[in-house]
Amino acid sequence: MEAQKNERRRRKFIAEIRVLHWQPNAGHTVNSQILAEVSQCVESINGVKEGKWKSTLSFYRPVVKEQANAAEFPRDFLGISLPEQPNKYYFVLRGQRLVVEADSNIQTIMEKLQSYKTRVALNFEGFQYQLGDFQLRVGKVVSIQSESLRGIVMEMEYKPISSWEKSHKIMGEFFDIWQEALSKRPLPGHFVHMEPNFGEFGLSGQYTLQHTAVQYATIMLQMIATAQSIRN
Amino acid sequence: MQHQQHSQPPLQLAGNFIGSPPESQGSSTEAPPKQVAVAMERLANAARLIADIRLGADRLLEALFIAGQQPHQIGNNKPVNLILQEGASMRQYLQDLRAIGRQLEDSGVLNESLKSRSNSWGLHMPLVCPDGAVVAYAWKRQLAGQAGASAVDRTRLALKAFTDQKRRFFPHLDEKSVDGPASKKQCGTHTSTASHQEELSDLKTVLDVLTDLEKDIPEVKTSTYQRLDWSKRASLLPNDTFDDLPKDHNNFQSSRNIISDSRGAITADQIGVIELLIPSIFRAVISLHPTGSLHPDAVAFFSPDEGGSYVHARGVSAFNVFRNITEHAAMAPQHFIGLNAETALYSLLHWICNYRTLFSKVCSKCGKLLSMDKESALLLPPVQRPYRNFSVSKHLSQNSSSKDLSMNDIPAYHIGCFPQE
Repeated sequence: MEAQKNERRRRKFIAEIRVLHWQPNAGHTVNSQILAEVSQCVESINGVKEGKWKSTLSFYRPVVKEQANAAEFPRDFLGISLPEQPNKYYFVLRGQRLVVEADSNIQTIMEKLQSYKTRVALNFEGFQYQLGDFQLRVGKVVSIQSESLRGIVMEMEYKPISSWEKSHKIMGEFFDIWQEALSKRPLPGHFVHMEPNFGEFGLSGQYTLQHTAVQYATIMLQMIATAQSIRN
Repeated sequence: MQHQQHSQPPLQLAGNFIGSPPESQGSSTEAPPKQVAVAMERLANAARLIADIRLGADRLLEALFIAGQQPHQIGNNKPVNLILQEGASMRQYLQDLRAIGRQLEDSGVLNESLKSRSNSWGLHMPLVCPDGAVVAYAWKRQLAGQAGASAVDRTRLALKAFTDQKRRFFPHLDEKSVDGPASKKQCGTHTSTASHQEELSDLKTVLDVLTDLEKDIPEVKTSTYQRLDWSKRASLLPNDTFDDLPKDHNNFQSSRNIISDSRGAITADQIGVIELLIPSIFRAVISLHPTGSLHPDAVAFFSPDEGGSYVHARGVSAFNVFRNITEHAAMAPQHFIGLNAETALYSLLHWICNYRTLFSKVCSKCGKLLSMDKESALLLPPVQRPYRNFSVSKHLSQNSSSKDLSMNDIPAYHIGCFPQE
């Protein structure tokens, strides 16, 4: 069985990783109680905890000598590291609809160049569950600086096949099953999946980690908007 | 081949055992576990000798066959020499076998009265059961309840081996006149028309069957391999070679054997493994036994992205969905052979291709795609498609398109939704 598992990791393609984020009801915020309930719900549909996972996301701002030039630089510049590819780093410029896969040492280069500084850094971390042929990740969004809980994200993946088109229906049903299971618990909010317009980013029909990066970038936008509306 | 040179005195069980056979004489020289071990070893040697005898018989038949093919060749004494050689070896094997048999009898293993003893606690020497299986302790056998099942299996294998040999060495004994029970067992639910039967009997080789399959189901990609070549291929999976293969419809052999191209195209009688790929859905591996025949004997399903030495007709996928289909399909080859051995491969492959709707066709009972299987606590799509009443019926219409095969879209069921008969 071990040999099988090792041979299995040679998989090159992913069918789809669907990223969800927690949308609290109006007037509510996210807290660790909700996170606990979500994890319990996964286990109630026979999810088996497999291990931990972690992604990091950084908002960059340019280091400019003259303020006047500041407007020339992209305002929405994100960098994301994903657990599936520890030696890669992904950049998303949402305004320009750009996504780039770079080597992970780009972060060192950026630091040496002192061209961009990290404005906000977030960790997505939590546990990974196996539900038969499905993989579920539940993670809290934590600000590295303040260590406060900012949100909850989930990732869903169907492992047996690597065609997005062919797995679409089964992913949809799994999503519905998940939402139904969670709805039985009295929680002040729900999970949302928003599929970004991948075509605008120049991404094709074969799923890649760049698609994941774009999903996270889109979620960030949503989370920021939610946070701002709470403040107002 | 070992020659047993034991000249031990006949063994007797220690006095503690109830019901020790009165036939064994002499003092007990060894403890029962050692006796068991010795007896098991002798039985193993006997089995080896029997295998040698079988092989020898094969060789004799082959030599006779060759001799029959080239009669009256002056100076070609090879077949005659072979026959003499084999005859001598056979005689030696049979002698050795007799010797071992005597030893086993003396030690109380092969003993008529033992078997008839109903009151024994089973703490006897290894038993050779009526159907030829060997067990160390009779009570274990009863617990396992294997007797009937293994006898049926052995008979079936023996019959298959005999039929194959007969077909190979005595082809002039026409198969049609020696109708086996298989072709007579046509179920009433078969709805093939007479002309369809003729078509099916035209599918004489594996390549014919595969060509027909690809015509009916355009999305399937098939290829054939010699048995050893398959393991090389399995280790290279997954790859996308199929997208690059030129589809050469004029030369069926070359388009099918490009993967094993280093040895050149293989001939139909070398085919031991068939691969069916429905791109992005599944890969099925079917083994044929004997090699080159139309008889499938095992099938296994895998993800199209799986690769490695465990991908073969008796292997198990790393994914639950394909593992469950393989389990469900375990008896399908035998079922189709039991109905009609000639068309078994044809039916099996068509049935397998029904799984092309695995991730899209909802369950015919509950109407959903995913369902939590209670027993295994897994979320699975409908992995069970019935094969018992499956038959490939075709409309003999002018425009044969895949639409005609919609009649063959059998229902799909979740494990728990499968109708109980």
